[in-house]
Amino acid sequence: MKNKILPYLLLAPMILIMGVLVFYPIIATFSYSLKKWKLTAPADIRFVGLKNYAVVLTSESFWYSFRNTVFILAIVVVLTTVLGFLVSVLLNVNVKGAGILLAIAILPWALPPYVNGILWKFVFSSGYGFMNKVLIGLGLISQPVEWLGSRWSLLLLVSLVVTWRSIPFMALVCLAGRQSIPEGLYEAARIDGGNTGTIFRTITLPLMLPFLGIGITSASVTAINVFDEIIALSGYSDLGKNILVESYLTTFSFLDFGKGSAVTYLVMFFAGILGVFYLRSLNKEVEY
Amino acid sequence: MKVLKKIGYIIALALFLTLTLGPFIWTFILSVTPEYAMMEKTSGLFPDMVIYDNYRELLTEGTQRGALLITGIKNALKAVGAALLIGIPVAMMSAYALSRMEFKGRKLIKNLLLITMIIPVMATIIPLFRLFVARQWLDDIFWLSIVYVSSYLPMATWLISNYFSTIPKELEEAALIDGCGRMASFLRIIVPSSYPIILSAALIMFLNTWSQFQIPLILASSLETKPVAIVVSEFMTKDSVQYGLTAAAGIIAVVPPAATALIFRRFLISGMMRGSVKG
Repeated sequence: MKNKILPYLLLAPMILIMGVLVFYPIIATFSYSLKKWKLTAPADIRFVGLKNYAVVLTSESFWYSFRNTVFILAIVVVLTTVLGFLVSVLLNVNVKGAGILLAIAILPWALPPYVNGILWKFVFSSGYGFMNKVLIGLGLISQPVEWLGSRWSLLLLVSLVVTWRSIPFMALVCLAGRQSIPEGLYEAARIDGGNTGTIFRTITLPLMLPFLGIGITSASVTAINVFDEIIALSGYSDLGKNILVESYLTTFSFLDFGKGSAVTYLVMFFAGILGVFYLRSLNKEVEY
Repeated sequence: MKVLKKIGYIIALALFLTLTLGPFIWTFILSVTPEYAMMEKTSGLFPDMVIYDNYRELLTEGTQRGALLITGIKNALKAVGAALLIGIPVAMMSAYALSRMEFKGRKLIKNLLLITMIIPVMATIIPLFRLFVARQWLDDIFWLSIVYVSSYLPMATWLISNYFSTIPKELEEAALIDGCGRMASFLRIIVPSSYPIILSAALIMFLNTWSQFQIPLILASSLETKPVAIVVSEFMTKDSVQYGLTAAAGIIAVVPPAATALIFRRFLISGMMRGSVKG
């Protein structure tokens, strides 16, 4: 009898915390999204069905943020995958100080994303930025470039900073994948006369795919949920906002809880699709 | 061929180090550059004169900005303490139940826990904000830390329970036969042999708590509770921005997590790899 209750007792604190602070709010957010609910009109809260979604999905502002989100997502995923893989190759070389190299490699991942944004802002700012000083010094430009002043170059920089922070995880996942391949397979392939290209295509790539899957889905979830870097590089301006910033501004600046919740649920929907892939690739690993 | 390979490796390594460490170095240079030299178009990359006034000001509690930053650091550390004290024991208890016991709903609980790993903060923050307003939990580091814990528990439970399942059952059974209770055997056998993964989880929690920006922005933005990242953000947006001072604040804010990552790299790296891969 005692042993039947014990597991639930052990799980109780976790279930309590997750229930109150995660699962209840997720459901509550959905119910808010079906209501007209502005803090500026607290007497007028009522059920409006899917109206908030209709308003959001027909607003120019939402699609502007949506395009920004997709842009960031595309750049971050592609660059993180390619560069993360390359860094893992670099880290897999057995040299003196390889441990320190690994430690340096994880720095961007370990630091506050907001501060990361500030560090890069110092590199690209127009007045005192490193980039402009170097380019002017080399005589390539005569006037400072406003890197953060236009939509696409701002978004590109946001994507680069997020990529910078996402590379370490991708590199470690790739490293783990690479190290899980038995050396014997490579020896056999070399004896059979395989060259570097075919070995990569027939052994390395297919065996690393599940690991890449984990890295890519994780990078995608990160890219959809970017917030700190955008605020660090452009403040609360509309120029570089993604859906998450849109949802934050709608809720906490315009105090429209109903519409803000609807925007949030749309973000969740995108993240959720990717999340399914993430869980699948994690569970695949469990099997062996 | 061998020489070419070596040259290629060195170039790649140099590029990698420049791109990884460059922003820190540049920010540090700005933090010791006198304000007047910063905006001059003609000035070179390095200042003619190095000043440490910014650091002196920020690390003195007597100055207004120093007081702000030091309070921010203390707030972040308090949140770290609370999150670890609550998060680690709760995660260990759950991990033990999930990895060592058979009971109804085990799979369901495990899957639900995993799903929350991908849920964005914004999906929960609006009702949480209302809850905090209603309960008067706003600007309270303890309740703020509980919210952090809720976002770390899936990761920590996942990591630790995977590790627990690699500890041979026989060890524990032997202890049980020797007359240890279930709790005693958990404390004497399981906990000591899994300290590396517990340390990994604790380090990841520390780094994440130190990094928090969006959640405290909404739930704890008062002077007495806001963490260091928000303080740095305010230096950046104040009417009269002093770039050197902001740069110095940025450097101070990254030193503790960077030092932690460098010192405990072994545990962090194995934790990151396990969390993602061994799943």
